Amino acid sequence: MSATSETEDFPTTFANAVHGGLDKVLGESGAAAVLSHMKMTSSLPDPAEFHRKLLALFGEKATLSLERAIVKDLVRRLKWALELLSIEGPFNFSATMLKIQRSVKA
Amino acid sequence: MTTRRSPGLRPLTQVNRRRSTAGSGAEDLAETRIATVLGLKQFTQRPVRTLLIKGLAGTGKTIVALEILKAAGKGKGAYISSRVPKELLEEHIPAMKETLDNQDFLDIRLEDATSVLDFVMQLTEPKKVRTIVFDSWDGLAKELDQKERLRAEKTLMALANNSGAQLIFVSEEPGATTIDYLVDGILELLRVEEQDRAVREFIIHKLRGTKIPQHKYLFTLLEGKFTFFGPYAIPDYSKIGKFAQRPDIDGSYSFGSGALDRLFGGMIPGSTLAIEYDENVPYSALRTIELPPIINFLSMGRSAILLPLPGANDERTNSILTRVLGESAVADRLRILNVVRTSDLQTTSLPKSATPNEIHELVTRETTRLREKSKDRSVLLVKSVSALENLFASDLDSLLEVTSQEIITLAQSHDAHILFLPKDSPIRSRILSMSSSYAKLFVRDGTVLMFGVKPHTGVYALQHLEDPTSPSLTQLV
Repeated sequence: MSATSETEDFPTTFANAVHGGLDKVLGESGAAAVLSHMKMTSSLPDPAEFHRKLLALFGEKATLSLERAIVKDLVRRLKWALELLSIEGPFNFSATMLKIQRSVKA
Repeated sequence: MTTRRSPGLRPLTQVNRRRSTAGSGAEDLAETRIATVLGLKQFTQRPVRTLLIKGLAGTGKTIVALEILKAAGKGKGAYISSRVPKELLEEHIPAMKETLDNQDFLDIRLEDATSVLDFVMQLTEPKKVRTIVFDSWDGLAKELDQKERLRAEKTLMALANNSGAQLIFVSEEPGATTIDYLVDGILELLRVEEQDRAVREFIIHKLRGTKIPQHKYLFTLLEGKFTFFGPYAIPDYSKIGKFAQRPDIDGSYSFGSGALDRLFGGMIPGSTLAIEYDENVPYSALRTIELPPIINFLSMGRSAILLPLPGANDERTNSILTRVLGESAVADRLRILNVVRTSDLQTTSLPKSATPNEIHELVTRETTRLREKSKDRSVLLVKSVSALENLFASDLDSLLEVTSQEIITLAQSHDAHILFLPKDSPIRSRILSMSSSYAKLFVRDGTVLMFGVKPHTGVYALQHLEDPTSPSLTQLV
């Protein structure tokens, strides 16, 4: 597997996917508010910290929906097949991101 | 009679009960607070965490929202205003100054949706804030397109769900919007006209997890506080207390009830007060107008005659009066003439087919007899026209003639006269034209309402909050 975006590195693609995924569920103002509240408007922290912050704000179920939207957006940007990641049920956001990042590097 | 305002009226018990429970312990769960303020706590089975309060300008939305905010407890609520600054709001609703001072106030008139949502996250993340009021939500939502608005609303719902806070959205949008489908409850406030007077009503359109026993309720904003009226409840006569005698008011007889005295200013000697009532007004509500003047007359050493309403239980009336006044006053100076009961006609030596004139003569004889026993020779005559109409249905002209004669004779005396008149009485307009005062009782949304036509007064809700024999009247403003 390899990243299909030739102009973006992974952190940028991840950042765009976070915006895109949050936008889709929370709307532009909701997404901007979440990132502003997390103080992540310019740089995104590691997925584990992001997960913890989302969990504190929205709780388990809503966090799962938001993270799934982010992963879907990321996969779309990378032009991957979503079936390669099993995210339909509960999944580990941090581990999934790590898996994607490693695959992109490879 | 003159109309007097009612400065001494106290807020109803619902308000007091709520005060005592808000802000502490199990009574203070988020899911019960809204239902408690609306008087529906006992029916709540599932959380009511988000509420939309709709209504046109001036219907009382902000006051209702602030009552719910107050129930959150000091320092545990936030008011997000997109319309007015705090100072102006406190000026408009002085009774809520303390509530506003006790809670966070966020003025978002110049803020965008992102900043507002960030504010909400700051409030909800520590999970300390229990209630957040958006007044108004439209002010902000109208700046967003339909899809963006729905997503912002879903964001708020998710934040509320995770933090346990309840969100109250105030809206002036009359139609259904996206938020109608998301919230747990929808309350609509209205100002409606009833008998040429404006009354306030709220409609519960939706309250998830709650069996709503009644969808419409009347409420008042008296003294800047939201007080709703549940359906009329029959008084508990086992709680009859000591009667406090009320002296004459500037030459007028007291009604024996502070609330009635404030409304009508007392009964001028020689006057006739007509009380018109709808067929759905409960008898106990009429009795609460009927008994206090009789009790007060008797307690002042005067005499009274009662021609009871059809269906009245004389033994019950006697028992209530005896408990309040003692046996001798009732036996000596009160005469209950139940004209539709054969036994009474027999004891007064009247034939079963007595004419209106014979009844009139009986009343006159009794008045003369009781006048001798009255401390100042005055007698109160409380009479049900309905009972007489039932008895003399085929001879209403004679009844009207006799009643007119009684009113005219009485006007020359120092007696007082109260007539209970059904709304559909065929002789209603003739009697009303002869009456010096005229009040109406009717029922709306289960609440018994009363107002004066002559003299003109506001509308009052009739309840029994203290003494079961006396009415509590709360003005609907």
